[in-house]
Order: sequence, then structure tokens, then C-alpha cells
Amino acid sequence: MIAPAAVMISLFFLMPVILTAIFAMTNMSTATGISGGAWQVTQGAVNRLKTAMPELANGIAEPRFVVDEEGLAALEALKLKAGFTTELRTSHMGEVFPSRREAERVIKALKDRPSTREVKQISDLFNRSVLNTRFETRDELMASLKKLGFTLTPAEQDTVAKATYTGWVWTTENFRIIGNSPDMAQIFLNTAFYVSVTLLLFNVSYALFLAITTHYMPASTASIFRAIWLLPRITPVVIYVLLWKWLTWDSGFISMFVGQFGYPPKNYLLDSAYNAWFFVILINGFIGASMGMLVFSSAIKAIPQTQFHASEVDGASRWQQVRHVILPQLRWPILFVTCYQTLSLLASFNEILLSTRGGPGKATEVWSLAAFHTALNNYTGNLEYGLGAAMALVLVVVGIVLSLIYLRIFRYDTLISKPLIED
Amino acid sequence: MRILLDKFSKSFGSTNIIEDMNLEVGSGEMLALLGPSGCGKSTTLFAVCGIHRPTSGRILFGTRDVTDLPSQERNVGVVFQSYALYPHMTVEENIGFPLMVRRIASADIKKQVADIADLVHIGDLLGRRPAQLSGGQQQRVALARALIRRPDVLLLDEPLANLDAKLRLEMRSEIRRLQKETGITAILVTHDQVEAMSMCDRIAIMKSGEIVQIATPSEMYKDPRTSFVASFLGNPPISFLKGKAQQGAFVLGENGLCLPIAALSGIPDGTTLSLGVRPEHFGTAGGIPVEGKVVFAETQGRENLYDVVLPDGSVLRSIQPVRDDVKPGDSVRWNLDSASTFVFAEDGRRL
Ligand SMILES: Nc1ncnc2c1ncn2[C@@H]1O[C@H](COP(=O)(O)OP(=O)(O)OP(=O)(O)O)[C@@H](O)[C@H]1O
Ligand SMILES: [Mg+2]
Repeated sequence: MIAPAAVMISLFFLMPVILTAIFAMTNMSTATGISGGAWQVTQGAVNRLKTAMPELANGIAEPRFVVDEEGLAALEALKLKAGFTTELRTSHMGEVFPSRREAERVIKALKDRPSTREVKQISDLFNRSVLNTRFETRDELMASLKKLGFTLTPAEQDTVAKATYTGWVWTTENFRIIGNSPDMAQIFLNTAFYVSVTLLLFNVSYALFLAITTHYMPASTASIFRAIWLLPRITPVVIYVLLWKWLTWDSGFISMFVGQFGYPPKNYLLDSAYNAWFFVILINGFIGASMGMLVFSSAIKAIPQTQFHASEVDGASRWQQVRHVILPQLRWPILFVTCYQTLSLLASFNEILLSTRGGPGKATEVWSLAAFHTALNNYTGNLEYGLGAAMALVLVVVGIVLSLIYLRIFRYDTLISKPLIED
Repeated sequence: MRILLDKFSKSFGSTNIIEDMNLEVGSGEMLALLGPSGCGKSTTLFAVCGIHRPTSGRILFGTRDVTDLPSQERNVGVVFQSYALYPHMTVEENIGFPLMVRRIASADIKKQVADIADLVHIGDLLGRRPAQLSGGQQQRVALARALIRRPDVLLLDEPLANLDAKLRLEMRSEIRRLQKETGITAILVTHDQVEAMSMCDRIAIMKSGEIVQIATPSEMYKDPRTSFVASFLGNPPISFLKGKAQQGAFVLGENGLCLPIAALSGIPDGTTLSLGVRPEHFGTAGGIPVEGKVVFAETQGRENLYDVVLPDGSVLRSIQPVRDDVKPGDSVRWNLDSASTFVFAEDGRRL
């Protein structure tokens, strides 16, 4: 029985986390691809090289002209005057010119007097610039550079290879980016704000409030209330968020309503960061509260009725009953809901994506949404899988740490009842 | 404080559990509510302490009408059948709960809890939680919790059911002593007639939501109003013989035993009757000889108990001082004290 369970666990539960961790240690992106890469002196690579090797960077970016067999063969194929080829081969073979001007000066001086148009034509054939040329192996790139007159030490070769490699590499750079970028810090604060406010106000407090108030209602009224509060949960989220959008659009209900009093219509959802947060928290809170309400309601139902009777005859008011009889016995459900909802708030972003898309600007961008944007969906088109995976990994770690903290706060050990002590 | 139930009725939905019950418990009195399971004893208690609102009728404490008063304001101590201890609190917190909700200083609470816990012998368990206690210990915690704030009325729903015999005896007298000392008016619900008879001033016997008879224990034993009451009191229980009236006498079966009984004068011949004979009224003393065969014998230490089958198949029980000469299977001829028997009509009414 253990084997299938172990397979399932490792395949569907462990593997995603492990893969995320692996991706997080790379710089994979749309640009690098997820398979191997090549070596290419892009403008970007040149820029990267500028600090370490300014001379080489400048040189590499410039076109280079080399008189070689390859060029001569091409020249012959052009069927210009045969003298051009012969003279270049005999007197200039192997010469390297650092710029087009120098190369053309030599061509112009050929005995057969090429026309200006021909000079240009010929010089093009000997252009051996590496800029934007793609090399399948590192050795090809190095050979090319050597031919162009760059002699590099092995250390320099490493630097150049690293700067020009277009594939993905192992790196911890992602975590440095996450740690140092002020954008990331802002997103982190957004997330902390969003999770804690939604959790405290709605998923726990409001859910508790609903559970306790419905507990004191007659059974039939209570079930009607519970059913109503369950609606956000059972409505498909797309439709549910659409209702909120309809409420907040410039032509939506709120705009229409306050329009009666002369206010101009506006999009209340996206008009300011404050409003955006207000609605994002409401949208998520109403969904989240229903789950807490169900868990707490059934936990209250599980408390024997006689305890309520006893506390009443003992003189406890409703509030004292809640405070001393109900709440202490809800410790485990509260822990469960807090834990579960923290994790789901941290990880889920569909309501935000569907409502504000993280806007206005990046005001309501939370960690998981940012990870999604980074890795899977953004406007620039360069999807940074590695960075996104690293962000997701941070989320996993934060989730685990928070769960452990909750277990401590709620003193999990005391929740597990001790065995009977024998006299 | 006197408790008065005036035409009290209680129904759950369409089922009437109790109809027009009148019951008065005098100030400082301890009354036992005795009756078979499901007869409405707990329901009555719940109405007195305010957990159930009566469907109709009034409940008075003293002269104060408490019918619509919430439980919190009735100052009633209740020991629930299922204890209803708070599982998340220690014994100390459980007992102190009624004081705590009144915002009494915690030092006072601690002292009072310690006192009452000693009284019910759980002083060394104060740090435990209910789950770590035996049934009997839990029961005593519940008792302590009911007593700690000196209630005007104490309601006990089978408070001793889980105790061992010795502790039960001890607690019986303990509760009774406490109740007398403090002058609390108390209602004790029980199945156990010995408990009812030994602890209470009066007993009310209930049957399917009605009080059949209220009387002091000895009155009720000597003068039961119905066969139900007679069968409920007494251990070993009374035995019944089925027969008919004939010229002022009770006749058992065809040409069987004939017992002249004073109460039967004026009863038409042929009326179906049943005769209740307590075990102590069948044996060596008494005037009328009865023949039968011993089918069962049991010794209870000081006394022996016998079941005797009469020729027509009915059974009489007898309790006698210990003797070794009678064994199961023996035929005996013992005497019946007809003056002490009860005659009941077919519907159970005493004649
Ligand atoms: N909440 C309720 N709803 C419906 N019926 C109830 C309810 N509570 C009690 N009853 C019924 O009322 C009757 C009396 O119940 P009650 O608990 O008073 O019995 P009791 O005399 O205390 O019995 P026991 O000795 O077994 O405790 C029972 O038939 C029971 O089924
Ligand atoms: Mg009961």
C-alpha cells in the first residue's frame, strides 16, 4: 500500500517543489530557453563586458576586416577583375584591419583601381566582425576572436564566454535580485499587508463572528444565513469577480448611484491604490470568510449542548459564554483556518488577477501574482522562469515558516490531549 | 426557598412530555423525583433552572414568578446528568467558573474552591482536566461547581450514579448534610429508590410526565396509591398476585387460595384484582398459610431471599432472617400477613 502512495506523493506533491527549487537556481528565461544555448556577441554581451574588459568590449563591437581565403573565394565568385584577387592574395593575405576605413584604403590602392562601388563591395566580403554572430561552441568563438587579433588569457576567455553565452546557467543571482530590488521589497510589503488584513479581518474574525452569531440564532434562520454567506465560495470566481467589476465600473452600480448626487462616474476599482486594496480585500475576504464560518460553526456544534446549559445556570452571560466556553474550544479550528488561509492567500492570486491585475500601477501586485507575471505572463515578453521560480520558492519557505510559528503560538502540544494519569 | 410548579406543561414540537404538572417543594425541603427512564424528570429540572421555557404554566421561587427569568438570574445550582464540565478548564477553573463570571476576586475564588473541593474530596485533583478524571471524580467536580455559589435552589440530576457503593453512601449523607445546613431547597432526580428514600424529605413518583404520588418515604412505602408506586419502592420489590374478588375476599385462580381482606367489602364479585405482597409480609409471621415450591434462594448476608411458585404459577417473594433448612426445590408452607397486603384494581388503582 505504501508504494503507490509514495509514487503519488513524489510525483504530484514533491516534484513540483523540487522542480521549482531547481529552476530557482538558474537564470532561465525566454531568452535563454530551457535547453542548452550558444555563444553570441550581442550588444547586451558587449555591455556586460564593458566594465571588466573595456578595450576588448570596444574592439569586439567594432567591425573587423581580415584578408583570408574565405573572402578571396567569395571575391572570385563576384567575377570582378581577376587582378584584385591575385594582388590581395600575394601582398595582403592574413592582414587584419581594425576598421572599415583602413581596409578600404588598402583596397583602393590596388593596382587595378577598383571603383568606389567595387571597393565597398570587396570590403564587405572581408568583414569578419563577431558582433551578432552565433557560435555553436565556445571554442569556435575563441578561434574567431583569435583570428580577429584578440589574444586572451584563459581567465579573460572565461569572462568573455560567460558574457556571450545565450543559454541558461546555474546561478544564485535570482535570490540576490529578490533580496536587493526595491520593487521586490514593495511587493513583499503589499503581500504582508494583503494577507494579514484579509486573514485577520475576514478569514478569522468575520468568520468567527458569523459562526457565533448564527450559533445563537434559531436553526432555520441560521442555515439561511450560512447559505447566503456560502454563495461567494460556490460562485465561479470569474463570475463572482465580474459582479464586483460591474459594481465598481465607471458605468457600474456605485457610479450610477453616486451619480444621482452629482458625482462624476469613475472606475472605483482602479481609481486609487486605496480603493483597489479596499475591493481586493473585500473580494477575497468574502470568499475566505465562508470557509472559516463553516469550520467554526461545525466546531461550535460539536460542543455538547449541556456545556451551554451549565454555563447559563452558572450565571455566564452570552459574551462570557463566547469568551470562556466557545473560544477556548475553537483553538484548533482557529489554528487550522489561520494556517490554511495564510497559505492559500499567499499562493492564490486569481481574484486579484481577475479584478485589478495588480493595478493601478503595481499597487495591488502581490508576491504570487508578481511571480506569475515574472515567469509566465508579462508585457515585455521576456519570461524569467528562473526568477519566477525563485519567487515561488520564497513563498514556499515563508509559508512553512509561518505555519511553524502558528503551531508555536497556538501551543500545538497542548492541543493534543494528554493521557489519563493513573492514581 | 419554596419552588412551585403551577400547571406546568412542556412539549417538544408536537410531543407533549409533561402536561399540567403541579408540584410544590417547601423551603429547605429536599424532594426526590423518582421515575423510570424517559418519564420527564430531567425535563422538569430543566424547566426549574430555566434552560427550557415551559410551554404553559408558571414556575415560582418563593413568591417570585421566575417563569420568564433567564437561567442566569435564577441562582440555581445544577448537577447535570452528563456532568457538563468544561473540558478545556482545570478542575479548579471548572469549580470556580460560577464565581469567575461574577467577577469575584481570584484570591477569594481560590479559597472557596479549595474549601468546597475538600468537602467533596477532590482537593488533590484541582490541577487536572476533566478528561483526566474518573466518572465519580467528574461527578464530584460537578457537585462542587453547583454548590460553590450557595444557590437558592439545588437541582441534582442523578448526581451519584457513577460512584462506588461506599462513596455513594458517604456522598448521600454529605449532600444531605450540606443541604440541611445551608437550607437550600433541593430536587434530586434519581432512579434509585434507596437513594430517594434515604436522602429526601419527600418523594414524588413520576410516570410518563405525570406525578403519580407525593409523600414522605415511609408513607409512600406503607400507603402506595397505585400498583406502579408500590412496585417502584422496596427492595427486593413487591410481588403481585392476579385474582378476583369473591364475597369480600381475594381468590387466586380457580378454587385457589382465598384471602379475606377488609378493603374488599363492597367490591362486586368477579372483579379482576391484583394483590401486592411485600417480601417481608410472606414468611414465618402472618395468619394465612400458603403452599408453594421454592425455585430460587439467595442469601444477602443478614437475610435470605426466596422465590416461591404457587400451584397456579404465580410467584411470591419472601425475605426472612438467615436459615439453612430451605433449599430450591423444597415445598414450603409459609404464612402470609394479609392485613399488610395491598389490593389494586385492574387499572392499578389502590382499593
Ligand atoms: N429536546 C428534546 N426534544 C424532543 N424530545 C425530548 C427532548 N428532550 C427530552 N425529550 C423527550 O422527553 C422525554 C423525557 O425526557 P427526560 O430527559 O426528561 O427523561 P428522564 O426522566 O430524565 O429520563 P432519564 O432517567 O433516562 O434521564 C423523553 O421521552 C425524551 O425523549
Ligand atoms: Mg434525565
